[in-house]
Amino acid sequence: MPDIKHFKMIKRLFESIGKYFLFLGMVFRKPEKCRIFWRQFINEADKLILSSIILVGVISLFIGGVLVIQTASNLENPIIDKMYIGYMVRESLILEFCSTMVALILAGKMGSNISSEIGSMRITEQIDAMDMMGVNSAGFLVLPKVTAATILSPLLMLLSLALGLVGGYIVVETTQIIPTASYITGIKAFYKGFYIFYSCFKMSLFCFMISSIAAFNGYYSKGGSLGVGRSSTQAIVTTSILILLADLIVTQLMLY
Amino acid sequence: MIKVEHLYKSFDGKTILNDISVDYEPGKCNMIIGASGSGKTVLLKNLIGLLEPDSGEICYGDRKLSQMDYNEKKALRQNIGILFQGSALFDFATVIENVMFPMEFFTDWSEAQRRERAQYCLEKVNVIGSDNKYPNELSGGMQKRVGIARAIALNPEYLFCDEPNSGLDPYTSILIDRLIYDLTKEFNMTTVINTHDMNSILEIGDKIGFINKGSLIWQGDRHSILKTDCKELLDFVCANTLARNIIEGR
Repeated sequence: MPDIKHFKMIKRLFESIGKYFLFLGMVFRKPEKCRIFWRQFINEADKLILSSIILVGVISLFIGGVLVIQTASNLENPIIDKMYIGYMVRESLILEFCSTMVALILAGKMGSNISSEIGSMRITEQIDAMDMMGVNSAGFLVLPKVTAATILSPLLMLLSLALGLVGGYIVVETTQIIPTASYITGIKAFYKGFYIFYSCFKMSLFCFMISSIAAFNGYYSKGGSLGVGRSSTQAIVTTSILILLADLIVTQLMLY
Repeated sequence: MIKVEHLYKSFDGKTILNDISVDYEPGKCNMIIGASGSGKTVLLKNLIGLLEPDSGEICYGDRKLSQMDYNEKKALRQNIGILFQGSALFDFATVIENVMFPMEFFTDWSEAQRRERAQYCLEKVNVIGSDNKYPNELSGGMQKRVGIARAIALNPEYLFCDEPNSGLDPYTSILIDRLIYDLTKEFNMTTVINTHDMNSILEIGDKIGFINKGSLIWQGDRHSILKTDCKELLDFVCANTLARNIIEGR
């Protein structure tokens, strides 16, 4: 039987959702000066996207290699052409790994970065100082982060795909687990451009969620440094769950 | 001039501010004093619009704060300088960038003009040669000075200071107080200072309001405070025995 505690929890949940959309309203207000926005945009692109290249690259390279070995060990059937291993590796990378898995990794890196940065500005009254100057603090601090993450994250997805395939190639070339020619034929077979669009779209959506939810949690941090840590953790947990949920919905809507 | 009329504020049913009415005049250091937890900061936050009162009115000149729309509040805020308790300097910006920050948003000045104005403000507060340092490279006193420089960057009509000398040694505290006092007189600002520091009160308190348990129970200046017969204020002023003995003529 639901008791008063459950109703309070549900009420809090709806309040948070409402507060999040009001927060987005503040974030997407027209920037005071476009020149300042673009400068911040470039800074955030560097901080959030460029600084993630090495992490995404290294993980993709290894996962590409691992996928080749796992797929090959599961398809040890003489009837099945070896080129299907390359094909399956490519499809796994495009459809799921390069967008969803990379987004989950970025939820940790990017999410904690954004949440703790904005959270510590909140508890040291820097955000109050901006508001009191008449500056739209949410717009100034969050809009460049959200736009940089949303617009530029598909580049990370494409990089991840390219390096994943390279990782697979290196494993194939060094271990000869399957003939290199079959792998190459496989990764070029039955190509569907829509899947790339689908994956880029997912990546953009997930990075929008990561940046906006982490910023929301940081922006409303309270309770000193412990509060900042708490909101950072909460941002990562919430974003990870919502990414998985959104993945399911988007896949259903776009692929069926 | 800032006029506060019958201001009430409560949190979760607990009254924090109870019928506060007071005027803050231009060219004066107006002080809000009281013990910790008496409601000083809540009053200051109501004055600057970070909190909304339950009832009552705050008027800036002849404009009521509660009747201002978003753009009017924004315009007013450009006319307000605030020194926060912890200085609230932006970590991501150097000293000079911190002072130039409000100018970048609200003026059409060139980079050179902004820099010139920022350097003028920094000179006013005696911060010289630290333009390219970050806030974490500065001492507490220096951070306060840069905070004041940023607060006066747009030549505001109103200056609010929340415990400007908390965490500072007595000598630096007096320097900061003097600085605020001189700037108030020079630019004819309406300065409101929230403090419980007796040195500050006696040094620069042109107009003083004592808040006790959310009510404004005494108003006067730095000369009359030592002659008061208000028991609660005497307890606050004479928290140490030496001060009590001096005031009571022993």
